[in-house]
Order: sequence, then structure tokens, then C-alpha cells
Amino acid sequence: MKAFQKGHPSQKGRLSGNANAASPRLATVACALRLMLAGGMLAGLSQTALANDELIRLAQDHKQWAQQGKDYDHSHYSGLTQINRKNVKDLKAAWTFSTGVLHGHEGGPLVVGGIMYVHTPFPNITYAIDLNDPNKILWEHKPKQDASVRAVACCDVVNRGLAYGDGKIFKTQLDGRVVALDAKTGKVIWEMENSDPSVGSTLTQAPLVVEDLVIIGSSGAELGVRGYVTAYRMKDGEQVWRAYATGPDSDLLLADNFNATNPHYGQKGLGTSTWEGDAWKIGGGTNWGWYAYDPSLKQLFYGSGNPAPWNETMRPGDNKWTMSIWSRDVKTGKAKFAFQKTPHDEWDYAGVNWIGLSEQVVDGKKQKLLTHPDRNGIVYTLNRESGNLVRADKIDPTVNVFKGYDMKKGVPIRDPEYSTRMDHQAKGICPSAMGYHNQGHDSYDKKRELMMFGTNMICMDWEPFMLPYRAGQFFVGATLNMYATPGNNGNMGQVKAYDVKTSKFKWTKDEKFAVWGGTTTTAGDLVFYGTLDGFIKARDADTGDLLWQFKLPSGVIGHPVTYEHRGKQYVAIYYGVGGWPGVGLVFDLTDPTAGLGAVGAFKELQKYTKMGGGMMVFSL
Amino acid sequence: MKTYHALSIAAAALFIGAGVQAYDGTNCKAAGDCWEPKPGYPAKLAGSKYDPKHDPAELNKNQQAVQSMEERNAKRLANARATGTFKFDVN
Repeated sequence: MKAFQKGHPSQKGRLSGNANAASPRLATVACALRLMLAGGMLAGLSQTALANDELIRLAQDHKQWAQQGKDYDHSHYSGLTQINRKNVKDLKAAWTFSTGVLHGHEGGPLVVGGIMYVHTPFPNITYAIDLNDPNKILWEHKPKQDASVRAVACCDVVNRGLAYGDGKIFKTQLDGRVVALDAKTGKVIWEMENSDPSVGSTLTQAPLVVEDLVIIGSSGAELGVRGYVTAYRMKDGEQVWRAYATGPDSDLLLADNFNATNPHYGQKGLGTSTWEGDAWKIGGGTNWGWYAYDPSLKQLFYGSGNPAPWNETMRPGDNKWTMSIWSRDVKTGKAKFAFQKTPHDEWDYAGVNWIGLSEQVVDGKKQKLLTHPDRNGIVYTLNRESGNLVRADKIDPTVNVFKGYDMKKGVPIRDPEYSTRMDHQAKGICPSAMGYHNQGHDSYDKKRELMMFGTNMICMDWEPFMLPYRAGQFFVGATLNMYATPGNNGNMGQVKAYDVKTSKFKWTKDEKFAVWGGTTTTAGDLVFYGTLDGFIKARDADTGDLLWQFKLPSGVIGHPVTYEHRGKQYVAIYYGVGGWPGVGLVFDLTDPTAGLGAVGAFKELQKYTKMGGGMMVFSL
Repeated sequence: MKTYHALSIAAAALFIGAGVQAYDGTNCKAAGDCWEPKPGYPAKLAGSKYDPKHDPAELNKNQQAVQSMEERNAKRLANARATGTFKFDVN
């Protein structure tokens, strides 16, 4: 929170409600400006400042939970303390809500101004619930989508959530549409096509509202979709910029000084030269994970996904700029830096994971950082102003694909024994394609300066096969077997507290299944998370000790949120198992290699949970 | 190509024998370009047994789909600006 307060006094003074605190004259000016804005007399820049200010103000008010990341740092850290480590044992169900939909429920609800906004998997229904009377649905938006779109979703028909901004709710649909709804009435304000399912392109990602823009990602690298990120004008859906993950520099939208601070990361021309021929046209790199944003730098941070196909032999080269951490100017979309984590991916380590921002004294100086636990088993920390690589630590010592990290060159040192290639079945690769960390939205404990990770402990065998590319059809080309990391008592997950400063884990706790949905940390010294076998749990942020758990109707693949209403703190979480680990259970698959190899790994899951869909809300 | 192939197979055998590392990602021919073929595998796929033989028409379908969507969205926006009412189905 400090970073925001420190970094934005000018914005605060300019247009926010706090102008009243300055001088009466300023307050009058601000008031007049607002009236003009409401009347549509000012557009562009002024409106921009207002939108940012509103979300920054909402993020500082811990009674609200106005974006998936909680704040632009995507810290998932709440300052609320009513529920704390002394009394969490008394936490009880306050109210519940069924979404009326099965399949995996990812993300979390939003709470803005006393209203909770709930989203569902396909067909992506949105519900608004008045917290004064949660028994009644205020409004709902139920899109009509062609059922055929389900066939091109790689990993269950999930969706990671809604975004709020300027009195509107923004949502993505599996059929590729982006919709803006009036937050008060649910009425459609605009609706645009971002992705075309006929070429295998879908949407599962939550939008992010920044400045006067809505940022939208892409999905479908398992069907050879070339990834792109798009900014739409929040007001009317106008496309402002679109940047691709592969191809010519003009499509990549590179700034003139792209990677100037770290030229060894690579600069111009690599979006095509690190591919053979036109393979970049179906090269993957979709971004369906999370973003982070620094309003003082005006830079957007996110990760691009895996190259296509999974068969590495069919795409020689580093395959830039898939698998990269991007920093883009939010107004123009131009990339200031990109850092490729996994050059020439051979394991489907889609680099789209959570990015958490922090400001810490590391290596003797206070730095603006971004931290990113990747699928490939490495936790990266970069200086987010320069792009400099600060840390690259293994999430767990059992990571074997890389022997270590060449910090000077900024590349992983691969162990050829765990590479994949045609005419070869690779065995015992750690992590598996599901990664040691996947889509879970993790948290940064601002009090302790610790990252709280929910991780996976899954390894694999992998054998590629040749296949043709046909638009709209799966383009994977590998057969996988996945299983719990050997020597870990069959446990497939962990929760752990990581300190960037020391590269050490303060505590680590095992979980039976992968901790898929992420974590949320509070000033009440608690770490909350859900589990695939259907628990919501709270651990002590200092020790990791389990302080409370409750058995939900179904497994969890989303994240907890916490808010305050009428003086009372609540913790809310979706239940409804699914996503990639749930595909066996959801689609009744038994072949262990089905579901891109997840069915075998999670065969025991159905002994613990069944499908569901809804939310449970807890209070003292 | 043939000579190269034979050489790399020989090299691969040597590597295995001597325990020398194959492609480990640290030998870069340019900044940000550190890929190497694995021992026994071709540096170029065209004409090799791993040639993906992509159909150029199929490769272009992604981009065509995006262009069509952008055109339809532009019409929606223009119509909304002209009429003051948003309509998804605009011809």
C-alpha cells in the first residue's frame, strides 16, 4: 500500500475525492471537473486519471475487493484484522450461493460499493448480489454462446473473473467476446469480438482495467493460436492497441529502446529469426494468466505462454517471444522490456503465471520489483524499472530440467537428460507440464515481505509425435504421463513462504493435491487458500501452522477474497472443482494419458470430491 | 546435409561416451538466440524427416480471423457512435 501512497500524491490531488482535504478552491475545481466529466465534456486524458484514481482508492479501502489482484501490485494482501490468528478457529459459514453451473470455478468474486459480483464457468453468467440482502439476486447477465466452443477449450471451460471500472463490469466469454455491463443494472454497454473459436482461439482470462483501458489476453496455444494482448477503450470498446507474442517487430509492438538496458536478452528481429520459416504464425504465446500494473511507471506486466506445438522438434529455435515476462507502456502497448524465461520450450511451461509487485531492499538497495513463480520451477524476480534479473531460484530442489541459472546471460542451464525430443520417451522430468506452479493467484504479505505460494509437486514422462496443423483443431503432438514428485510421500502440492531478499523459504507445508487456486494473506497474520479436495484453510503467516479448515461442497481452483460489510469482515471463496487437474473427473476420462496427461496424476481426486459450483462466505 | 547428419551422429556417440553436454542453452550465436540442434537432430527441418510440411493457407487462417473480427468491431463502434446505441449485429 505504501508504494501507492508514496507514488501518487499528484494523482490524488488532481481529481480524487480527497481534493476536499486540500483547499475549498481546489475542491470546487474538482467538483466542476467531475460535472464536466459526467456530462461527457472532457475525454481522453482527464478521464484516464479518474479511472486510475478510482481503482487506486478502492484498492486502499480494505472493505472492498475491486479487482482480481486486490490492488495493482496484485498483492492479494488485505489490511483487515478482525479475523486473525487468535480467533480464526471461530470462523463460520455466514451465507452461501449456488451459481447453477458445474465445472471449474476459477478466480474470485469482486466486492465494490456493497455489491458482490459473481462469475461462472461457461456459459459465463454474471450475478450481482446486494450485500445488504444476499438472498436476492440484484441482476444477472446470461450470455447465449454456441455450445461448440466447449470443444476447443483445452482444459475445462473455466474463467478467471471480472473486472470493475468507471461504473462498469467487464467480462470475457469462452466464445472470445469481451462485454462491458452497467454495474448497477447489468445492461450491456458494448460487446466486441476478441478471439475466434473457429481457429481455436478462446478467452478464459480476467480483464484488467488500467487508465481508461480494458486489457484482454488470449487462449489457445494448444490449437496453434498465436498469442496477442489487446487494449480496448473502457468507454466504448474501441481497440486502442494489439500486441503479438511472435512475428515481426511491428506486430510485437516494440519500443525503440526495447531491452536497451539488457541487450543480452535479445532485441530486434527475434520474433521471426528464432523460428524456422512461417512457424511463428501458429507459434502460441497466448497470455491467459494475470497482470500487474505500476501506475507510477505506467507499465503493464504479464507473461506470454508456451510455443506451439508441444512437439519441440517441429519448431527449432528459441521461439521468441513466447515464455516471456513483458513490460509494456499501457497507453501505447509498446514493450520496454521482455525477458524470455524458457527459450525453446520442451515441456509446456506456459509462462503466464501470477506476477506480484513489491518494493524491497534487495542486494543493498531499495528496488521496485516484480516476482513471478513460473511453470518451469523457477521463481523470477526482476527489477521492474530496468528489467534486470535480480533472482532466479528453484521453487523446489527437485527441479531437474535446469541445472542452474546463468545470471549473466539470463538463461537457464538445461540438463540434456531431461530434454524432450522426437523418437525418445523422456522420463522423470520435474516439473511436469502442469508446472511446479500454475494459474493460482498468489499473495505478497506486505507486513512480512514474504511471497505466499501455492505450488504443485508433479513430474512427468513425455514423448512427442508428428502431426499436421489444421486451424481449429488441437495441435499438441505429445503424450504425457504425470505423477507426484518422487520421494514426497505421494503429496502433489505445497504451500510455502518465500523471501526474495534471502532466496530462502521461511516455511513449507505439504498438501495432498496441487494447490491450484492461489493464496490470500491478511494483516490478521493469516494465509487463506482452497484445496482441490474441497477445503478452505487458514495458516499462520509466520509459521505455516494450520489454524482452521472447513470442508466445502467441492474442490477449489479459485482464490479466497476478504471484505468488510457493515463493520463485519467476511472471507468468500468459490467451490467447484475442474480446470486442468479436474478434467478426468469433469469429463469422465480414465486413460491416464488423457486430458494432456492430467487424468493419471489426479486419478485419486474423485475419491475426495465431485463437481459443484457456488460460493461460501465466512465470518466470525 | 548428409555429411552434417553423419557428423552429428558421430558427435552424439562421442558425447554419450564421454558424458559431454549436448544442447544446454548457454552457447549463444547472438543475444537472445541460444538454440542449438540436439545431437543427431537437424538444424533445419525443411527436407528432413521432421519437416512439418505446413500448409501456408492453414497458417494464415489465424491472422485472417483476427482481421475479420477487427473489421466487424470497427463497424460496431462506428454504428454506436453514429446512432448513440450499441448494436452487436451490424452488417
